[in-house]
Amino acid sequence: MSLDRFEPTLVTHDLVQDLKWDPDLRDRWDKDRSAVLDHYPLADEERRAIEEGDFRRLYDLGLHPYLGGQLARLMYGNAAGPEATVSVNKLVASLTGGAE
Amino acid sequence: MADIVCAVAASHAPGLVGLFDGAPEDSKAAVSTMYGALATEIAEADLDVLIVFANDHLANSRVLEYPDFLVGMAAEHRGPYEWFQPWIGCRSYALQGHPEVAGSVFTGMSHRGIKFFGRRENLRFDDNLSVPTVLCDLDTNAVPVVPVLQNCTVPPIPDQRRCYEVGQALVDIIANDLPDGMRVGLFGSGGLSHEPGGARYFYIDEEFDRWFLGLLEHGDHDKLLAELTPDRMEQSGEGGTAELFAWFVVLGAIGPRQCTVLGYTAYDNFKCGIGAVRWQMEV
Repeated sequence: MSLDRFEPTLVTHDLVQDLKWDPDLRDRWDKDRSAVLDHYPLADEERRAIEEGDFRRLYDLGLHPYLGGQLARLMYGNAAGPEATVSVNKLVASLTGGAE
Repeated sequence: MADIVCAVAASHAPGLVGLFDGAPEDSKAAVSTMYGALATEIAEADLDVLIVFANDHLANSRVLEYPDFLVGMAAEHRGPYEWFQPWIGCRSYALQGHPEVAGSVFTGMSHRGIKFFGRRENLRFDDNLSVPTVLCDLDTNAVPVVPVLQNCTVPPIPDQRRCYEVGQALVDIIANDLPDGMRVGLFGSGGLSHEPGGARYFYIDEEFDRWFLGLLEHGDHDKLLAELTPDRMEQSGEGGTAELFAWFVVLGAIGPRQCTVLGYTAYDNFKCGIGAVRWQMEV
C-alpha cells in the first residue's frame, strides 16, 4: 500500500473522484455498481478488484491510498461513527489479510 | 506594509468533530483546550484576513492535473462539501472570503517564480478547513479567510524546503503587496502522524509527534528543515503525516519565533496525532 506503487494513470482514481463529486452518479452506484463500472475503461484485473473489494490488489495496481480510503467509504458507508468505522475495518482487513 | 499578527498551526482530523463524544475524557479535554486557545488567539488578533494552508486531500482536482498550491478566491467559502459532511459530522458554514488578498497572493507568488493555481468558485472543503472553522468558530466570528489547499500527498510533493520557500515568498507579499496596516493571520492546518487509507489507519506515532513539537518549541529551523524530510514523514504515516508541510509554510513566513505547544493527544479512533501550537508574533 506504499505510495511507491502509486500509479497516477489508474482509471479507478477518476471513478472515485467522480463518485465524490457527482451525487447522481453516486445514486446510480448505490443501485447498480456494475452499470457505473461499465462506463470506465478499467482493466479486467482492476474491475475485478473493485467488485471483490480487494484493496490489497488495487493498491498493488497503483491506487492512491487516500482515494482507497474514500472508495471504501463509497462501498461500505460514509457517516461518522459506525458506518465509517466499518469501512475502515474492511479496508484494513483487505490490506493486511486479517479479520475485520 | 501589512503585518503578520497571528500564527498558529493545528491538526484537523474529522474525528475531532464526529467521534469527539466517544473519545476518552483526557483526549476531549485536550482537544477543547487546544482549539479553545486557538479560537481565543485568532479572535483577539482582530484580523483583517486569515490565510489557511492545508492539505487538499485530493478533493478538488484529478490526479492527472494536480496542483501543488490552489488558492480559494471566492467571496464566500461554504462547507463542508456535501459528501464530506456526514463523514465529519459538522455543521454547515459560510466563511467570508477575501478575493483581493487571494488575488494578491496568487499574483505575488507568480511574480516571485512560484506557480500557484486559483479558483474563483467555491472549493470543496473537507476536514482541512471545516475542522478549524467549527472548532475555532471562524464563521461565527466573521474572520475573513483565504484558503490555500496544497499537495501533501500526490507524489512528487513540495517538500519541507519548498514549503518554507513558499512561506518566505508569502511574507514578502504580505510586507510589500498587501495594504498598509492590514492585520494578517496564518494557520497551518494538518498533521500530526497519521496514515489515512493505509494498512496502519489507526496508527499514531506519538514519539514522532512529541519530537516534532519539541523541535518547534526549540525553534531551530535549520534542524527542522534538515530532519523533516518527506521520507521521515512517511515513516510516521504514509500519505498523512506530510500534511505538516503546511506548518512549514507558516515557519517560512514568520522565521524563528518563540513557539508554544498548546497541547497534544493520541486517541486511536481519531486516527491522527492531535496537536496545536502558537507562535509569538511581535509587531
